[in-house]
Amino acid sequence: MENVHNLLMGLGVALQPHNFLVAMIGLVLGVIVGVLPGLGGANGVAILIPLTVTMAPIPGIILLSSIYWGALYGGSITSILFNIPGEPWSVATTFDGYPMAKKGQAGKALVLSFLSHGAGAILGVVMLSFFAPIIAEFALKFGPAEIFSVMLLTFSAFVGLGGKSALKTLASIFLGFSLAAVGMDIVTGQLRMTYGSVDLMGGFNFIVAVIGLFGLGEIFLTVEEGLKMEGIKARVRIRDITEGFKELGRFYKTLIFGALIGCWMGLKPGGATPASFMAYGFAKQAAANKEEFGHGASAGIIAPEAAAHGAGTSATLPMITLGIPGSPTMAVIMGGLMIFGLTPGPMLFVEHPDFVWGLIGSCWVGNIIGLIIVLAFTPVFVAVLKVRFSILMPAIVYICAIGAYAVNNRMIDLYYMVGFGVVGYLFKKLDYPIAPMVLALVLGDMAESAMRQALIIGQGSPLVFFRPPIALPIMIAAIVIFFWPTITSLRKKYAARTTIGPG
Amino acid sequence: MRKADIFVAALLFVIGVIVLVDSIRLGFRWGVSGPEAGFFPFSLSVGILICTAIIGIKAIKKHGKEGPGERLIPEGGLKPILWVLLPSIGMVILTEFIGIHLAALVFLAFYMRAVGKIGWGKVVLVSILVPMALYVVFDKLFLIPLPQGIWGGKLIPF
Repeated sequence: MENVHNLLMGLGVALQPHNFLVAMIGLVLGVIVGVLPGLGGANGVAILIPLTVTMAPIPGIILLSSIYWGALYGGSITSILFNIPGEPWSVATTFDGYPMAKKGQAGKALVLSFLSHGAGAILGVVMLSFFAPIIAEFALKFGPAEIFSVMLLTFSAFVGLGGKSALKTLASIFLGFSLAAVGMDIVTGQLRMTYGSVDLMGGFNFIVAVIGLFGLGEIFLTVEEGLKMEGIKARVRIRDITEGFKELGRFYKTLIFGALIGCWMGLKPGGATPASFMAYGFAKQAAANKEEFGHGASAGIIAPEAAAHGAGTSATLPMITLGIPGSPTMAVIMGGLMIFGLTPGPMLFVEHPDFVWGLIGSCWVGNIIGLIIVLAFTPVFVAVLKVRFSILMPAIVYICAIGAYAVNNRMIDLYYMVGFGVVGYLFKKLDYPIAPMVLALVLGDMAESAMRQALIIGQGSPLVFFRPPIALPIMIAAIVIFFWPTITSLRKKYAARTTIGPG
Repeated sequence: MRKADIFVAALLFVIGVIVLVDSIRLGFRWGVSGPEAGFFPFSLSVGILICTAIIGIKAIKKHGKEGPGERLIPEGGLKPILWVLLPSIGMVILTEFIGIHLAALVFLAFYMRAVGKIGWGKVVLVSILVPMALYVVFDKLFLIPLPQGIWGGKLIPF
């Protein structure tokens, strides 16, 4: 099979000494970033993007994605030992991970978490390797109408399946697109929404937004609860690892199910965070020992962790094949790709196969090595948190500021960063989803130009988006998903009425 | 929290109006060769206006029925947040004058001392070492120009 050949080539690229070293550095940085609050996966990657400009595209992307894999693993460490999620997708891990650690089984909790991550990662990468070329092939047939319809499907998924208020999700999406539109319009050259301000002419850069929203916003959230970093001491012993494998064997169904949910959620954008919650919810419902959940149930760790990592890795799939990132962090990585001058999408497979397969290869290498790294060096990473918060916090803000400035060398970006931080905090508190706004900011220009081109092709008629054979089913799916909550509640009402009926 | 909900919805509504006004200026119809520049923002702004209006009205109704709801910021949470927010803004403003690394030095020292109550020795050590390290890494190793500020160039001779 040609794909196996490609995969081996990709692995070869990934294992080249320079690329391997870069992956190692990325992994370690990623775990550290995952452990620290305020420097999250999306944020950490965003800050390092300006650095990667000095590198060639392949090692650059390997670095950025390795940070993501590291952060996926690292977020669990603080969740289990400190009851503080290091990443949004590690929140579900605190439910059962911390209680298990309190019972003195911290090593077991960590091992279960890491192994589940590894399993999710493997499933994700396997899917990636085999489905990517197929979907890319298919996507080559996409015209602007199809591209736009896929984006609509993406955002409909947020509205219909996101679990948050549809209105707030929509507002978030529209806001993101509006922010993306500020500045010069590429087609007509006109300035939009700048109101004569020179600063606004440059528009809003998504990196700055991400650093503010996820970085500063996260810090505000961490600080408001007055957190103390009092952790449980833990070492991972060999015995824990063997016990962990056995436990995983006992709960293999939960593991597979969690990983599958994760991969599914990574494909349709949502990412690791909703995946982890969904998997936890399912595992609890399906469990025989529901009461154990929340008190240290193994399945309560296995499910969300496998899901989170499965989602994270499979988020790469829509990103490289369709140009639609499957998670906020993947959106940032995609932005990094675009900065390298590579447009994600089916053409990437055609024009730069070494790059794409090198990336896929490094997904394999990075996730497996990442597992080994966290299993072996957890105490080292925990030591990072021993640094006093009052030193850590300003240092994190400082690093964020460097990252924000380095994007475009503009002072105004630093002010934007602080502004986005406040927005991120408020949005989190008021339950406005941030991920779709970030996605809209990243995809905004692409979406608009696809829409315009499609409309021109269709001579102004919106029916162009419904043309068979590809755009039509996608649009129908988008509409169905958009109204999914309404459909499910109508079904419930119907079911209730028929059971209450005569009899 | 309800009040904050209403407030944020109103703020977003205003943003929607701002976008709407400009997209009307740009023209939102079908132009000579395709949608005009204001077409996309126009639909976006209409979307924002409708959504935020409904969110705001819902929040007002709920507020009328159930009162203000939970606190937006938990007890004692506002102070630590302001302690982060205000010095951060201060650091950014300071950066305009003396450059980011020196501003960070002040920021680190200030926060460590004022909030962390850390001893002077450690304060001086960290607030000099960390910016120096980052200066070497970013400015020298990666050659990324970071803001020097109006006077910063003269304060750091190297």
